[in-house]
Amino acid sequence: MKEKIYAIELNNITKTFGEVVANKDVCLNVCHGEILAILGENGSGKTTLMNMLSGIYHPDSGEIQINGQPVTINAPKDAIDLKIGMIHQHFKLVDVLSAADNIIMGRHQKSKKTRKSKLPSELSALCESFGFDINLSKKIYEMSVSEKQTVEILKVLYQGADILILDEPTAVLTPQETKKLFAILKNMKQSGAAIVIITHKLGEVMEISDRVTVLRKGESIATVETAETTPKQLTELMVGRPVSLEIERPGVEQEKNMFEVHRLSVKNNDGVYALKDVSFSLNGGEILGVAGVAGSGQKELCETIAGLLPAEKGAVLYHEENILGKTPAEIINLGISMSFIPEDRLGMGLVSSMDITDNMLLKSYKNGKSPFVNHKPARELAQSLVEKLEIVTPSIKTPVRYLSGGNVQKVLLGREIESNPNLLITAYPVRGLDINSSYKIYDLLNEQKKKGVAILFIGEDLDVMLGLCDRVLVLCHGEITGIVDAKTTTKEEIGLLMTGETKTQQEEDAE
Amino acid sequence: MKKLFKIVSLVMAFALVFALFGCNKPADDKTTTTTGAGTTVAATSAFDAVAKEDIKVGVLHITSIQETSGYTYAHHKGIQEMKESLGLTDAQIIEKDEVPDTETELVKTSLQELVDADCDIIFATSYNYMDSVEEFAAANPKVIFSHCSGSKSNNSNFNNYFGRIYEARYLSGIAAGLKAKEIGTPKIGFVAAMDVKNSEVTGGINAFALGVQSVYPECEVFVKVTGSWYDPVKEGQAAKALIDAGCVVLSQHCDSDTVQTTAQQNNVFGVGYNSDMTTAAPKAHLVAPIWNWGVYYTAAVQQVINGTWISKDYFEGYNVGLVGLSALNESIVAAGTAEKIAEAEAKIKSGELFVFTGPILDNTGKQIIGEGEKLSDGQIQTGINYYIKGVTLS
Amino acid sequence: MIANGTRTHEPLVRIAKRRERSRAELILLRAAAFLLAIVAGGAFIALLGHSPIEVYAEIFKGAFAGNKRDPLSAVKQTLVFFVPLIVTSLGLSLAFRMKFWNIGGEGQIIMGGIFATIFALYSTDNPGAIPSFILLPLMFVAGALGGGLMALLPAIFKIKFGTNETLFTLMLNYIALYFLKYLVSGPWQRTPGFASIGNFDKSARMWEIGGFHASLLVAAALVIFVHFYIKKSKQGYEISVVGESQPTARYAGMNVGKIILRTMFLSGAICGMVGMIKVSSTYTLTEGITGGVGFTGITVAWLSQFNALGMVLVSLLFAILQKGSSVMQTSLGLSADASNVLQGIILFSFLGTEFFTRYKFVFKKNNSKEKE
Repeated sequence: MKEKIYAIELNNITKTFGEVVANKDVCLNVCHGEILAILGENGSGKTTLMNMLSGIYHPDSGEIQINGQPVTINAPKDAIDLKIGMIHQHFKLVDVLSAADNIIMGRHQKSKKTRKSKLPSELSALCESFGFDINLSKKIYEMSVSEKQTVEILKVLYQGADILILDEPTAVLTPQETKKLFAILKNMKQSGAAIVIITHKLGEVMEISDRVTVLRKGESIATVETAETTPKQLTELMVGRPVSLEIERPGVEQEKNMFEVHRLSVKNNDGVYALKDVSFSLNGGEILGVAGVAGSGQKELCETIAGLLPAEKGAVLYHEENILGKTPAEIINLGISMSFIPEDRLGMGLVSSMDITDNMLLKSYKNGKSPFVNHKPARELAQSLVEKLEIVTPSIKTPVRYLSGGNVQKVLLGREIESNPNLLITAYPVRGLDINSSYKIYDLLNEQKKKGVAILFIGEDLDVMLGLCDRVLVLCHGEITGIVDAKTTTKEEIGLLMTGETKTQQEEDAE
Repeated sequence: MKKLFKIVSLVMAFALVFALFGCNKPADDKTTTTTGAGTTVAATSAFDAVAKEDIKVGVLHITSIQETSGYTYAHHKGIQEMKESLGLTDAQIIEKDEVPDTETELVKTSLQELVDADCDIIFATSYNYMDSVEEFAAANPKVIFSHCSGSKSNNSNFNNYFGRIYEARYLSGIAAGLKAKEIGTPKIGFVAAMDVKNSEVTGGINAFALGVQSVYPECEVFVKVTGSWYDPVKEGQAAKALIDAGCVVLSQHCDSDTVQTTAQQNNVFGVGYNSDMTTAAPKAHLVAPIWNWGVYYTAAVQQVINGTWISKDYFEGYNVGLVGLSALNESIVAAGTAEKIAEAEAKIKSGELFVFTGPILDNTGKQIIGEGEKLSDGQIQTGINYYIKGVTLS
Repeated sequence: MIANGTRTHEPLVRIAKRRERSRAELILLRAAAFLLAIVAGGAFIALLGHSPIEVYAEIFKGAFAGNKRDPLSAVKQTLVFFVPLIVTSLGLSLAFRMKFWNIGGEGQIIMGGIFATIFALYSTDNPGAIPSFILLPLMFVAGALGGGLMALLPAIFKIKFGTNETLFTLMLNYIALYFLKYLVSGPWQRTPGFASIGNFDKSARMWEIGGFHASLLVAAALVIFVHFYIKKSKQGYEISVVGESQPTARYAGMNVGKIILRTMFLSGAICGMVGMIKVSSTYTLTEGITGGVGFTGITVAWLSQFNALGMVLVSLLFAILQKGSSVMQTSLGLSADASNVLQGIILFSFLGTEFFTRYKFVFKKNNSKEKE
């Protein structure tokens, strides 16, 4: 196939960090007018690969060809000159400038005058041709995540990119916004752009891509035509063995209103309301999902309940006792065993430089009267967790920062579950985890549920939430826009709630 | 815990305050201090003679021996003179410099090294080495310790040496007084490192003033204190203040030459200290009292070689040439200065003139030294804590 | 900066972050650093026209070989440099582990010295005075209290107002120093004009055991204490967690403010003990009491990665260098400046190698990509 000119062709790319092999002999290609999905679990080397294309990293060996020419990309600027546009997960925009200013910024122009006068028309032509629906004079800080992403895409297109790489573009989008994005991508494909979309969501792969290259542990395992494959086959390629995609939802006898949040309002560090008048109840033996676009108040909800963030007003009742305003230690002293698995695992839930044993001690080091820490039970616990949860680690003495994301999560979740909580709060427990580990986590949560534990599950994958949770609470801008029954609702309904359309009163009563 | 904490800190705070203002423990009440040359005991040396080729001399300096003027320079120069006049080799002289006397640990380590290097005699040049030297003398009876400007000694291997620099100051006062008289302004300034309680500084000021008054009786001396032996900025400020107050000649007892350069900038005149400062201020510097430490070092080391060293405090002056004046800046001194100085110098050498001879009144009018009385060496070294008539602290 | 948009040139050398090295690798690397330092220092000595081997032998002799009467004389002197350094770095390392940048060791040592001196000044050897076995422990507690209170100040301000502790502790050093200057040339001055308070009476002097200061035992006890405090105690565990991440500490239910105050007090108290050790073994309090260990201790603590046993080694190295090279002046006639430069070169080479624990050089590879 050497005759065919590919927009991007990677031959035997290898990249190592110290002794960690991030990419090994990766080969892939994409033509103009094609959408290629790169599918792989977290840690399979997708992002490293794309960072080499955008000049952030440099391959140790192997060859990159752009439009049939071998190239060396040393800096992001080189990538731009090669007409490669990269859309990162974290946007690189200047908040106080308008969309138009952000788009034209960084583009070399002879004088300011031509820039000001000529550009808007060029830009609006660009928007029209691809179907972008955006107000170019709006300031970035006033924009939603989806709008910001649009600006990023416009920016690279305006820089002349005809090769577009998107790293997990839908992670921050509602289902509706995802649809819009995909429509735009299809338009661009029609006009001859080469598009690479990095993702781990199977549904999106099936929906948008022409071909799929699957990465596993840094190697390119296979490239298949999307039309000729199935989610099941892709999963097997990704994981390396057959897996079941069913999520269990056991029916459990529930203890009503074990835990209640009543008209809770919380301000964040900037003094802005992160939660407004939030009320809900949580039963023992129930998994209550919390859905919402990232930054809708999930973090504040968790931290307020866990006693880490002060509330403006409201109450958090556990068996009708208000625990709001108490410190974590006081909450434990009340006989409430609450486990909180924070979103920020290494920044909050675990001490990254400590080993597994010492991390086991984080909430229990004070046990006993001796001034010294009793390491023995912690070591035993660490050892048993490593075996039970199949944590991959050289030893229990390895600092947790050396462990992969999934194993870190297992350490954290394992510790919290071992403390036999009555209430378990868990934020994005499967983020960054491979499919196998994710299912292991779901099983662990269900096990707790069967024991009668009340579980608050902050999630992002609506498919998972609909399968795992009993009810789903939807947050939008810090307010509850609805609490729905997971067995009867649809993704679309939740998507609408996420954008702020509240449910009608009757539906709420029907619960 | 918290309460205990509060109580303890209160107690400590009280103790601190009490210590600051309540403590007036008399110094040296238990040390056997023999000061001055008064007690001359005819004794034979406890030390054997040392072959000239074998003798080792250790020196402890406070600042760098690379300096080209000032205190350490004068001592280093003296050691070099001793080496040459006795014909010793470089290897026989071990000079440890840059040993601040505030870093007691370093002082002791350095002394130990000199002892370990088998020095026969060790000269320690700075006042605050004193307590460490005293300890070392007790611990190393075979080694001779000689300490400059202090107030301690023992009867076996530890003596103290200093000199009658006030004699040179008296003579420099003559130069200053004649210059002021020539100008016709009876106002002379003096920048002093330490205040009236410091006998060395105050004695020097008084001697200087007596020299001034011997040629220009109505002339007044105004003193400004910097509070530091070496602080060019403060010395400059003090000099400027004195000039602004109308002084036409400035003298100094402090280590930098800033007073002289300030005098030159303001078109007045100056008397330096420690080394000839004419190079720094050729249009202002008249003359400077200086030390010739080589006189003492040569004599002391020769005694060690001869096996005649005995522990006796050394306090000499013009009689042996330990103190003197730098060359007169002939182009600017008042006419007749050289003659007047030579006259007084001869009298000092002959013993006819003793600077601190009564009657002397202090500046409140009280008689301190009666008619015909003379201050003892002990009084000169530690007891001058008053300014004489004609000297004013400003 | 690329030529025409298609092809660029890779720089010859790039600096890349490397994976963290294993313990064994780190030890090897440090050993190599030590060798390199010795070689670099040797080159400097050779440049001065001396034989490096002779000079190093002299340093070694200077640090260990005594005189005829007392073969341990040099060792004792080396230990005099060693003890304050190890104790200071132990104290500082507690705060550093918590990522609280206590640059105030100097000031805490001074305050410790001043507090201890208060008691020393009141004691006399007269009958009825406080006996040494009570006075010295009293001075010890006072010294610790002085240093501790001095360190508490920046901690309180950090917690209440979020002030920068680096600047705060640094500035307190000067306040302490000027306060000390005021005392020794003011209320506590012995002879007018000379900044000296005179020697303490015998009861306030550090005990000597076989010619060695008892402070060596204090240092040994503190090494063991700090080692177990950090590694095994609950409070040590808290320090590590707070240092790693305050959100984690709060998440674990720790009272972060209390931990910072307690740790800083302890850190300062240990530094304050240095002040007590210094005044009781030199028998006096002077402006130069710290000898700069408050700053050198920072280097020692970092070089040993806050590991108590590592600090023993590094402090010993520093002490040997300091004592040994000071002898060079007496034996080889090398100036004090030259030996300072030599110490600097050795330290710099040693510290410079730290770079390689985190980074590596990647050289351009001369293969492939040209044709085909």
